[in-house]
Amino acid sequence: MSDTFIISIVTFIYFAAAFSYLISFVFRKKPVAFIALALTVLGIIAQTSAFIIRWIHSYKLGIGHIPLANFYESVTFFSWSIIFIYLVMGVRYKNSLIGALANLFAFILLAYASLSGDMSSQIQPLVPALQSNWLTIHVISCFLGYACFAISFGTSVLYLIRQRFKKNPVNFLPEPEFLDEVTYKMISIGFVLLTLGIITGAAWADHAWGRYWGWDPKETWSLITWLIYAAFLHARLVRGWKGTKMSLLSIFGFLAVVFTYLGVNYVLSGLHSYL
Amino acid sequence: MIACTAKQIPRIIKLTLPEKNKFSDSIFGSSQIKKNVQCHKSLSDLEEKAASLLKSLVSMPVQVRKDDKSYFFSEKGRYSRMGFIFIHLSILLILGGGLIGAIWGFDGQMNIVEGKSGDTMFLYGGEGPRKLGFEVRCDKFKVDFYKTGQPKEYKSDLTILENGKKVLSKAIRVNHPLIYKGFKLCQGTYGIAGTDNFQIVVKNKKTGKETVLTLNLMEKTSLPDSKFLFAIAKFMPNYQNHGPAVLGVLIEPEKAHEMLWLFKGHNQQMKDLSFIFKDFDSRYYTGIQVSRSHGVNIVWAGCILLLVGFVLSLFFTHTKVWLRISERKDGCEVKIAASVNRNRKDFEEKLEKLVIRLQAE
Ligand code: HEM
Repeated sequence: MSDTFIISIVTFIYFAAAFSYLISFVFRKKPVAFIALALTVLGIIAQTSAFIIRWIHSYKLGIGHIPLANFYESVTFFSWSIIFIYLVMGVRYKNSLIGALANLFAFILLAYASLSGDMSSQIQPLVPALQSNWLTIHVISCFLGYACFAISFGTSVLYLIRQRFKKNPVNFLPEPEFLDEVTYKMISIGFVLLTLGIITGAAWADHAWGRYWGWDPKETWSLITWLIYAAFLHARLVRGWKGTKMSLLSIFGFLAVVFTYLGVNYVLSGLHSYL
Repeated sequence: MIACTAKQIPRIIKLTLPEKNKFSDSIFGSSQIKKNVQCHKSLSDLEEKAASLLKSLVSMPVQVRKDDKSYFFSEKGRYSRMGFIFIHLSILLILGGGLIGAIWGFDGQMNIVEGKSGDTMFLYGGEGPRKLGFEVRCDKFKVDFYKTGQPKEYKSDLTILENGKKVLSKAIRVNHPLIYKGFKLCQGTYGIAGTDNFQIVVKNKKTGKETVLTLNLMEKTSLPDSKFLFAIAKFMPNYQNHGPAVLGVLIEPEKAHEMLWLFKGHNQQMKDLSFIFKDFDSRYYTGIQVSRSHGVNIVWAGCILLLVGFVLSLFFTHTKVWLRISERKDGCEVKIAASVNRNRKDFEEKLEKLVIRLQAE
């Protein structure tokens, strides 16, 4: 079975998981949440095998490298990271809505990877600059960080919706304190991972080009993202901010993540344009 | 930021030092988290139970007995307070290291033709040449391609020479630099610097005899069995989009020269001779990115400190619990005070469980 075929199946699994989580949330049905969790686990197992199959296949083509080297591969890995972070960090909140969010994001990313016209799913040879072990840990830590930020973005949006319709009696969303707490936890983990990502990126640049920081657009934007989240943590730890202002900061931060990830490639160009 | 961090340092240090008021009564009134419970048990029973519960929740408690009251104090994660100092200090280190690099560091490029050596780099930003203080020789350059034609790997065998003497030899590739005297030499680019050893097959159509010539540019040779001389006047890597070609010159003594562009791999005629331009060697130059970055080690130290600070700060919590058991008529009164620097909610839940277990039979 080809890895791209498995990925198209996984796309549907994540959709089904998101849907089941939503059903379980709206109708407060525990067994459905269990089915949703089982689907999520099935999805990530299948996606991990697709990753390994693709990896092995690249060696058969004589251009062997870990599949983290082009846009298609990075988008699929992003979706994998979100599910991974959900299973490691998010499950213990025992809230179906978080599961629905994670699966929905993963589904959207995979659907985008398969349907978008400007993305080739072919395995491509690796240019010499990318042939480095730093690449692997750099990409993995960045994407795990982005995954945390994606989930905190989701909980922040829910927080704002929840606050906007405070007086609405059919408000079935989770307690605002809970959403605020999840946002904060996810951002603290994501921040450490992003820091690790930036540091390993700098180490790699130092190895490949003899300089650890070059104000390349991607580097600059990752620094801006980092500063926004540092501001978030300070607002919370130093000023004791909570609630709406924090949600807005977190949404802001995630927009910076998206711009760092996509905008820089489409709008600006630089060393990272291969992704 | 310096001011802010410095202002916090005394407070942090105070919090990191061992707790002085381990067994005071006032803490039960002033602490963030307070609990007060009645237990119908004897003092000694409760002491034993409290010690083991505190041990599993926090750490092995210290205990004193004053009159009819028993005091416990238990603490963990004290050093997580230092995370804050580490994080801010590390940012200063990174900025400081970066500043040092910006002031004293420089980078540029040097191109060395295979077999030749160089001792000068050209600074980026048009700042002109700069001597390295040693010589770099490129002994060999090699590039491999994928089937698609993209470069797969390129490699330069370099030798460092000091006053003409060989000091060190190393092959550099992209992502595998050479460091010498603080200079980092990274494989950057490459290109074709020159060509030689043009192979031309000449066939005499009358005699049917074939000769292979190996020529350099502007090098005259006489062709065997004939009165002609032959030379290559020019080379074009891609002449009129038909690929590499050489300008062949056929010289007949005391007559006008005859010239013809010979395309690589084609059979072409001049007089009664046929020529095939078979092959040629190209000499590459290697483009080396040279940088002298001061302060990098300070930056890396800062990065490591930053990560250590995060781990301390985010994954450990400074937890302190004070517990006092006093005898009452029908059992004991237990007062608990606690403080944590984060995750207060989680901790309060755990403390609640401790209280329930303390009261349980
Ligand atoms: C721009 C200048 C900065 C100032 C003025 C500043 C100031 C402060 C202050 C006053 C605290 C409170 C400490 C406490 O109450 O325990 C704090 C905490 C913190 N700062 Fe900064 N900071 C700055 C930059 C940064 C940056 C760039 C980072 C990036 C990671 C950072 C990371 C942190 C963290 C993680 C904490 C929480 C430490 C803890 O709770 O243990 N700070 N900062």
